[in-house]
Amino acid sequence: MPRPSWSRALCVGLLIGMLPTLPIHAQEIRSESMLANTCAGCHGTLGASAGEVMPTIGGMDKGYLLAVLTDYKTGRRPSTIMGRIMQGYGDQEISAIASFYAAQPWVSTDRVAVANQFAEAPALHERYCESCHQDGGRSQDKESPRMAGQWAGYLQYAMQACRDGERCHPRKMRNRVADLSDAEIAALAHFYESQK
Amino acid sequence: MNTLTRRTFLQSSLLSTAAVLGGPSLAVRAATPPKARVVVIGGGYGGAIAAKYLQMSAPDIRVTLIEKDSAYVSCPLSNEVLGGERDLASLTFDYRGLTRRGIAVMQDTVVEIDPAQHFVKGASANRYNYDKLIVSPGVDYDWAAIEGMSEAVAERIPHAWKAGKQTDILRRQLQAMDDGGVFYIVAPPNPFRCPPGPYERAAQVAHYFSTHKPKSKIVILDAKDAFSKQALFQAGWQEHYGDMIEWVSGAEGGIIEAIDPETRTLIGSFEEFQGDVINLIPHQKAGALAQTAGLANESGWCPVDQRTFESSIHKDIHVIGDACIAGAMPKSGYSANSQGKVCAAAIVAAINGEGAPAPSYVNTCYSIIAPEHGISVAGVYRLENGRIVDIPGAGGVSPADADARTRALEQQFALDWFRNITSDMFT
Repeated sequence: MPRPSWSRALCVGLLIGMLPTLPIHAQEIRSESMLANTCAGCHGTLGASAGEVMPTIGGMDKGYLLAVLTDYKTGRRPSTIMGRIMQGYGDQEISAIASFYAAQPWVSTDRVAVANQFAEAPALHERYCESCHQDGGRSQDKESPRMAGQWAGYLQYAMQACRDGERCHPRKMRNRVADLSDAEIAALAHFYESQK
Repeated sequence: MNTLTRRTFLQSSLLSTAAVLGGPSLAVRAATPPKARVVVIGGGYGGAIAAKYLQMSAPDIRVTLIEKDSAYVSCPLSNEVLGGERDLASLTFDYRGLTRRGIAVMQDTVVEIDPAQHFVKGASANRYNYDKLIVSPGVDYDWAAIEGMSEAVAERIPHAWKAGKQTDILRRQLQAMDDGGVFYIVAPPNPFRCPPGPYERAAQVAHYFSTHKPKSKIVILDAKDAFSKQALFQAGWQEHYGDMIEWVSGAEGGIIEAIDPETRTLIGSFEEFQGDVINLIPHQKAGALAQTAGLANESGWCPVDQRTFESSIHKDIHVIGDACIAGAMPKSGYSANSQGKVCAAAIVAAINGEGAPAPSYVNTCYSIIAPEHGISVAGVYRLENGRIVDIPGAGGVSPADADARTRALEQQFALDWFRNITSDMFT
C-alpha cells in the first residue's frame, strides 16, 4: 500500500486553506435571472413591490441600482438588512442584478390621490426636487431615482433618513431636504406615490 | 388525512372541472400540444412559486398545480393572529391569480404517485401525467415522539403549526384563559419548520397577555439548548415583557416525553408541568405524501440533488420546501420560495436539453417581538461540492444594539415581506 505522498498532503492542505478566500468570480457564473429572482420575495415579482416600505426596483436606472447595491455592500449606504445580503455577491453579480431589474418595466403603485393629503406637495416638489427629479419625479439617472409611482412608505423613510443625516447620497440631496418638516415629507411622499 | 366524503368528492371534482374550464388558454393548448407537462403538488410557499416561475419562463410548458384546499392560509404572520394583531382572513389567499396566468389549478387530493409510469392519481379519480413532477408537501408530525399525543388530541392541545383551524383553536383558548394562568409552548427538536417561530409566538402572546391578562406567564419547554435569533429574542422579551416569558432548555429539563391531555400535564425528563393552555409543537418530518411516495429517507426528510431539487430516490420528481434536505438553508417560507425558483429553472433547462444552471439561493426571515420591534435573519447561499452552503461573511441577524428607528423599520419590513412574498406567489 503506497504511503500518502507528503507533497500531495501539503497540496490538499493548501487547497483547503485557500477555499474560503477564493474570489466569488472564480465560481460558476450565475445568470441574471437566477440571481435577481431571489430578490422578488421581498421586492415583488420582477421588482414591482406590493408595498409599502419595500421599494419597487424593477425599471430603475441601471447606474442607480448598481451604485446603491454596491454602497449597501461596502456599508457606505447604511441599511437594516440589505448590507448583510449584498455581502454574498461579487461585483459582476451585483452588476447582473442591476441589469436585470433595470430591464424590467416600471410598475407604479395603484394608490390614488387622496384629497387634502398633500395639497402643498406640488409646490414643494417644484421648489426643492424638480431640478434633479424632473418631469414630476418621473425622470431618472444614476443619481436620481424615479419617485413617481414609488411607495410613500419608502420615500418617506428615505427622505427622513437623509434629512437626519443617517443616509444621504448624493450629499446635495441633504441640502434640499434639510428644511422639510415631517408633515412636508409625508405630503411629498404621498404625492409621488399617487403619480403614474 | 385523505378521507373523502361523497360531498367533498363532488365538490372537488366540480371545482377541478371549473378550474380547468376557467383556464384562459385552454383553446391555445388544445391547438398546440405542450412542449412538456409539469405537475406541481402543493400550493404553498414552495409549490405556488415553482408553478408561477415555470409558467413565466416557459409558457410552452403545460403547468398543472394540484392543491387540496380552495384557499391557502399562510403560516408566516399567523403568530400575529395569536397576538390579536390580525385575523386569519388577512392570511388567506386563493388561486385565481395563478389560473389567470394560464396554470391549470386543480383542487384535488393526491392519493398516489407512480414514479415508474410518471403519473399522479387524485382522490377525484383524475389521473395527471407528467414529464417532471414537483412535490412541495410541507411538514407532517411525528406523533409517536411524545407519548399520549395524537392528531385527535391536537384538537384540544393545538400545535397551530399549520395556520387555519389550529390557529383559531389556540387563539380561543388563550382568550378563555384566566388572568394569572400559565401558557406552555413545547418547542420541537431540529430540524423543524420556521426555526424562530416558537420564540416569536411567545412574544406575540406576551403582547396580548400584557394588555389583557398581565399576571399570566409563558413558559417555553424546549427540546433544544439553543435557538434561532436567541440573544435578540431574549433581550426583546425582557425589554417588553419583563419576566413574563421563561425559557427552559433541553438540558434544564425542557424535553417533554409524554402528555396527559385530560389534566393538561406535560411530563418532562426531570419534572411535570401543569398548564392552563398548552401549545405542543410536535416533532416534524416531511409531509405525508413524501412519506407514502417513498421520497423520504430514514431521517424522515427528502434527500435531493441540491442543484436541481430532483429527488435522490426517484428520477424526474423534485422535492422543494420544508420537506427537502437543503444543506444550510432553514425550513422557512423564503427558503421554499427561493428553492421553487431554482427548481423551476433546472426543470426548464432539462426540458430544453440543457444542463442545470448555477443556482443562487436566499433566505430572509423576520420576527415581530413587539408592535415597533422587528428583527431579522438573512442567509445567502451557493452550491459547493453538491451541497448548499452559506456564503461566508454574508447574512446573519440584526445587530443587538439596533436603534428604535431600525427596529421599527424592521417591523414594517416584516409586514412588507409578507405582502411581497404572497404577491410573488399568488398574483
